[in-house]
Amino acid sequence: MSTRWYPIYQRGNPQLRVFLPNFWMKLIRPTEEQPPNVVTFSVSMEMTKYDVRSYLEKIYKLPVVDVRTRIAMGETKRDQTYGYITKKDDVKLAYVTLPREESFVFPDFFSEKAEKQAKEEKSLDESKAGFRRFLDRNKKRPGTPGWFSI
Amino acid sequence: MSSALIKCLNLAKTVGNATVKTLLAAPKQPWQTCSAAALQTPHVQMPMQMHTSAVRRDLMEFFDEKKNWSENEVKVGRAWRTEELRIKSNKELHQLWFVLLKERNMLLTMEHECNDKMEIFPSPERIDKVKISMENLETVVRERNKAYHLLETGETGERPQKAVKNAFGLQVSYKACEHALPSFMNLKWIKSRNIGFGGRAVNRFLLKYREKLYNAKRKAKNRSRNEVMMILRRNPNFDLDVLRRQFPDVNVDKLRNEDKIRGHYVPKVGV
Repeated sequence: MSTRWYPIYQRGNPQLRVFLPNFWMKLIRPTEEQPPNVVTFSVSMEMTKYDVRSYLEKIYKLPVVDVRTRIAMGETKRDQTYGYITKKDDVKLAYVTLPREESFVFPDFFSEKAEKQAKEEKSLDESKAGFRRFLDRNKKRPGTPGWFSI
Repeated sequence: MSSALIKCLNLAKTVGNATVKTLLAAPKQPWQTCSAAALQTPHVQMPMQMHTSAVRRDLMEFFDEKKNWSENEVKVGRAWRTEELRIKSNKELHQLWFVLLKERNMLLTMEHECNDKMEIFPSPERIDKVKISMENLETVVRERNKAYHLLETGETGERPQKAVKNAFGLQVSYKACEHALPSFMNLKWIKSRNIGFGGRAVNRFLLKYREKLYNAKRKAKNRSRNEVMMILRRNPNFDLDVLRRQFPDVNVDKLRNEDKIRGHYVPKVGV
């Protein structure tokens, strides 16, 4: 369950153990509509179905019912100007089925971000306007400190 | 790595709080607020007194904490250093590895989602810090492994490597691995190695390749020689020791009699 080098396994030998697994898994937003108990992962290319299952069960303590994997081909694109072709890397996707009673909705991280940004921008604009007012007022009397007039 | 630390706290809760203290202690920085109280409490009182949040054991572990979702910057500590990791026990290193692994998965997930939604991923250096920590941890484990093997068997226990020539006659390092069949009867392996081809084409290629390497070396040598000569022509009283130090492959004393070094002026004789 890692990309390290292991001695060859022959029947009767003790089972190979993984002490420092170095595989990664990303939980990604599904592109197609899925049942609520199915979660999509983007995983290391070397991972097998069994690896995905034991990774989630042992490290994340998740109940896993079924794992299906596929390799999604990276997008190929022709350059508009020079005509050469570029290709993005292939990715391995794992569709993990949790028990029927579980349901997972991918959270929306950026719903509050717009509000927060608007609030910050508003306060920034206000302070900018205040400074402009101060400058206008002191146009004819340069060098006067801010506390001089009411 | 504040969130990693908190998670480490959660993880180690099950194992024993003594380890929590030691794991927490290292990458802490003055401005880091992460459970400073827990660190100051005496060692004996730890099990009862220490407060930790509930262990998060679900899919939300793949995402950052909710308060960081709409942030533009997430403040974290630094990566673990090798000297800090060297004083940890094997068990602690093993625990820390999984803390780091989960942290990396979380960061990669968040980065992917941010890229997907055309948002800016806050503090992307977190990924590098986790990566550096993991590399350092692996280095320390490897050191211990090597020491153990040397003590027990007299060998390093590393994967054996040897220098072989590939199909182009160039030297590459071949990483050995175990096989069920011995090498002389393992035809598939012999074919797959694809080494030791000594045909005429390879010899011709090697001749030209070496010529190229030689030319590069020769040109570099000439270039530095010319540079020294130009320096001496423009600055007749230049410190020769500096030149000798700066250009160790140039024989400066021999160059002093060269014609090129003489400038376009009348030499001062007998001054």
